Amino acid sequence: MSVHDLLKEYIETGRIKLDKSKHPELTTYHDPCNYGRKSERTFGHGYYEEPRWIVQQCVENFVDTYPTKVNNYCCGAGGGAWAMPYAEERIYYGRVKVKQIKDTGAEMLIAPCHNCRDQIMKSLRQEYDMMDLEVKYLWELVADSLVIEGVDE
Amino acid sequence: MQSEPLVLSKREKRKLAGEYPDLCLTCGTCAGGCPVTGVDGMDMRKAVRMALLGLDQELIDSRFPWICTLCARCEHGCPMSIDLLKMMRSARTHRERDKVPGVLHKGVVQCLKSGNNVGIPKEDYLFLLEDLGVELAEELPGFRVPVDDKGARILVTINSKEPFAEPEDMFFWWKIFYAAKESWTTTSENWEGVNWGLFTGDDESMKEVVRRIVEHYKSLECEYLLLPE
Ligand code: SF4
Ligand code: SF4
Repeated sequence: MSVHDLLKEYIETGRIKLDKSKHPELTTYHDPCNYGRKSERTFGHGYYEEPRWIVQQCVENFVDTYPTKVNNYCCGAGGGAWAMPYAEERIYYGRVKVKQIKDTGAEMLIAPCHNCRDQIMKSLRQEYDMMDLEVKYLWELVADSLVIEGVDE
Repeated sequence: MQSEPLVLSKREKRKLAGEYPDLCLTCGTCAGGCPVTGVDGMDMRKAVRMALLGLDQELIDSRFPWICTLCARCEHGCPMSIDLLKMMRSARTHRERDKVPGVLHKGVVQCLKSGNNVGIPKEDYLFLLEDLGVELAEELPGFRVPVDDKGARILVTINSKEPFAEPEDMFFWWKIFYAAKESWTTTSENWEGVNWGLFTGDDESMKEVVRRIVEHYKSLECEYLLLPE
């Protein structure tokens, strides 16, 4: 089961409640290659709409990247690059993603992948002067938006 | 009179050109959309040419199949729908294991041996989960981390990076499960969710890691499997 299907199920069936007002900042989304193109080619379905919908249940202002979805660019750390010694190439690769993110003007970026999140948060932000950008996992955003019965109410 | 068709490639002799690169139009679409085109003087179109010309070993020895992130943008754009990623991945497969760059292959070996890529011992792992569970229960009354719970609806794997370096990042999913009153479980062994065999082109190890997860899934009688990667 995909993380997207599960989170969507929780939200749609009301099993979890979210409060958008916790995230007023302009937010964009990064398409990981594995949930997009590769899922589409292998399983006939790319997860493009689901994560965007989930993000928009958690934030008030959403902006997409250009290009987007199936044509989106890789963060530069796919294929295990994070665990390889070719850091210079990995960072060079990421310049395209950085431009995409900067062009949106977003203050927060959501990535549903460990690898993409690490590349953008721990490497590209520093290398390309984007320290103001907040980077979160999709499930981190959801967790931070939760209103838990008996705890928050 | 019917004549023999011209033979364009002897596919069976090629190691890397298995998935129809002989259909390549040399249009350059693949290379045009790739952020690392030009690094080491390489690009995907050239890689296809190399495979077709029998320069398999040169491609295998080059850095290109590893600098390429297997992002599939080229493959998506290719007008002939050539399986470019399969070719790149098989170039990785043919790399001698001790020449796989970085820690990837060591991680694979470690995972087969210890059940996770970074070699966290079972006792340490269970101790950490319990400790974190107690911490989170201060915020979420009654919370605990289910381990090897038979009959849980969802079996969840863990990215070893989290217990290894960023344990509190596990809270995100735990909080969501708590809020959703989900029935879930992780496992005390072979809980690794990151399958590096995928990246090193090591099908056998990759399948073994998957097999172990499926084994848990069956023996614990779970309904769904979640790999939050
Ligand atoms: S899969 Fe590799 S060659 Fe193709 S676009 Fe991505 S990085 Fe470039
Ligand atoms: S996009 Fe396809 S057809 Fe065009 S050069 Fe690349 S592999 Fe050949």
